Amino acid sequence: MWGKGILTGMRITMRNMLRGPITVKYPYERLEIPERARWAVAPKYDGEGKPKCTACMACVRACPDHILDLEFTTREDKSKHIERYSYEIGACMMCGLCVEACPFDAIEMSHDYELARLDPAQLTYDLLADVDAAPVKRARPATAPKAEAAPDEPASTEAAPAEAAPADPVGKEATDE
Amino acid sequence: MTGEIGSDACFTDRIEPGVDELVVNVGPSHPSTHGVCRVIVHLDGEVVTKAEPVIGYLHRGIEKMAENRTYLQVVPLTDRLDYVGSMYANWAYCRTVERLAGIQVPERAEYLRVIVCEMQRIASHMMSLGSAAADTGAATMFIYAFDQREKVIEAFEELCGARLTYNYVRPGGVSFEIPEGWTERVLQFCRDHRDGLELMDRLFFGNVITRDRMKHVGVLSPEDAVAWGASGPVARGSGVNWDLRKHDPYSVYPRFDFDVPTGSNGDCYDRARVRLFECYESCRIIEQAISQMQPGPIRTPGLPRLLAPRPGDAYDHIESARGALGVYLVSDGSVRPYRMKVRSPAFCNLALLPLLAEGHMLSDLVVILGSLDPVFGEVDR
Repeated sequence: MWGKGILTGMRITMRNMLRGPITVKYPYERLEIPERARWAVAPKYDGEGKPKCTACMACVRACPDHILDLEFTTREDKSKHIERYSYEIGACMMCGLCVEACPFDAIEMSHDYELARLDPAQLTYDLLADVDAAPVKRARPATAPKAEAAPDEPASTEAAPAEAAPADPVGKEATDE
Repeated sequence: MTGEIGSDACFTDRIEPGVDELVVNVGPSHPSTHGVCRVIVHLDGEVVTKAEPVIGYLHRGIEKMAENRTYLQVVPLTDRLDYVGSMYANWAYCRTVERLAGIQVPERAEYLRVIVCEMQRIASHMMSLGSAAADTGAATMFIYAFDQREKVIEAFEELCGARLTYNYVRPGGVSFEIPEGWTERVLQFCRDHRDGLELMDRLFFGNVITRDRMKHVGVLSPEDAVAWGASGPVARGSGVNWDLRKHDPYSVYPRFDFDVPTGSNGDCYDRARVRLFECYESCRIIEQAISQMQPGPIRTPGLPRLLAPRPGDAYDHIESARGALGVYLVSDGSVRPYRMKVRSPAFCNLALLPLLAEGHMLSDLVVILGSLDPVFGEVDR
């Protein structure tokens, strides 16, 4: 009984000893991150290096922790200028709801995972600052926003009161696929 | 001696005069308490005369926070309930929302939910077995179990981009379609996992030290298991054949052929071994689900971004790795839940600790706590 047990144990030991390491030496070697990995939110740019963000505020409304903040001014020709688009990474739980809410594919969950900072103040930073927002390709719906009418309706799954912002440029029934 | 721990006199840290007892405060930050469990233990020599779990060290007020968020925004919060098995809380919450709003879920989404939840069961049980092994000093088993768990977590990271807080199951479906070649890798994992389980069964449950440490320790009778509201492997370890997947079938579970393993003695050994056998059944379910799954939509089409269900309430429960996990939601017709209540199995199972630990040694307390497998994110919420 003893001899067999020791032999079995040694077989497992030898097999593990000869198989090579499974760990990697992190700063020198890095594992490949899956395509869908969710890390810090980052803005996306078009081919000319301009941000794709249209300042529609969909991400700000979608964020469960209210850590995204977008300040913009609207010029007379209705074009928008993003003053600052701040992001508090220290409170971000990387759920990805802002990216799913974005109708213009203007932000992404980047693969930037080395997020340690020496100064807590650096945990809030601007994703975009002082840039022109991209023009909305689709024409605005001509009808007035129906935000006020919704709460009085008999409640149904269609109803989208309060938060259904008039500025939402796409239909709310758009699915995220 | 008189035991006085801090100023929180609401717990029985006082000893009657003339009683020769010692009060020991275990936790809240102790590696063997599986989180932030504080147990006030009354000792007579080395024998526990009374053990009282003190909870609340991980209370984040998730049920209250849910009242200030829209139905979709609550889903990432449910990830943080049971952080070892996030998919379950996702699914239980989404099932309740779907029942509340009358949403029909596409069949493919149901299959995907079953697959990820059975994989989650494997990951959760591996975590439980690994840490139970570490408590009894079996470091090899700990590494083997966590090796298996790592494979599941890697598959999840590939599927939905996160290792622990998945945010995968959504009201009306799931968030992502499976990537290329994922099912083949999962099937390969199931085959490898059976070999791993075989090895672990011989290594850990065949070990004489494990048997001595876990057999006849913390015996829970079937009557007590029912009376105290135990569920999951804790109840099944005592021979109570109660599994919501079989006895209150939900989703597509009636289409699968699987068994519900039960123990006979109700001790720590049986509870742990039931978890091991459940992993075999999970592999069977995953394989059947992958073979039955048909292409199709993964989300209910035409669902509004902001759900506002009719006023009313709904309750739904699923069988999580720890037992019956239920979510109760009240809607007042607005876009936010009026009230959310989570019935967490870990909380109900942890309540058994005073009953089970009484009369055992202090070192057995750690084994009993490990066999109950509490996760404090879910106990405290």
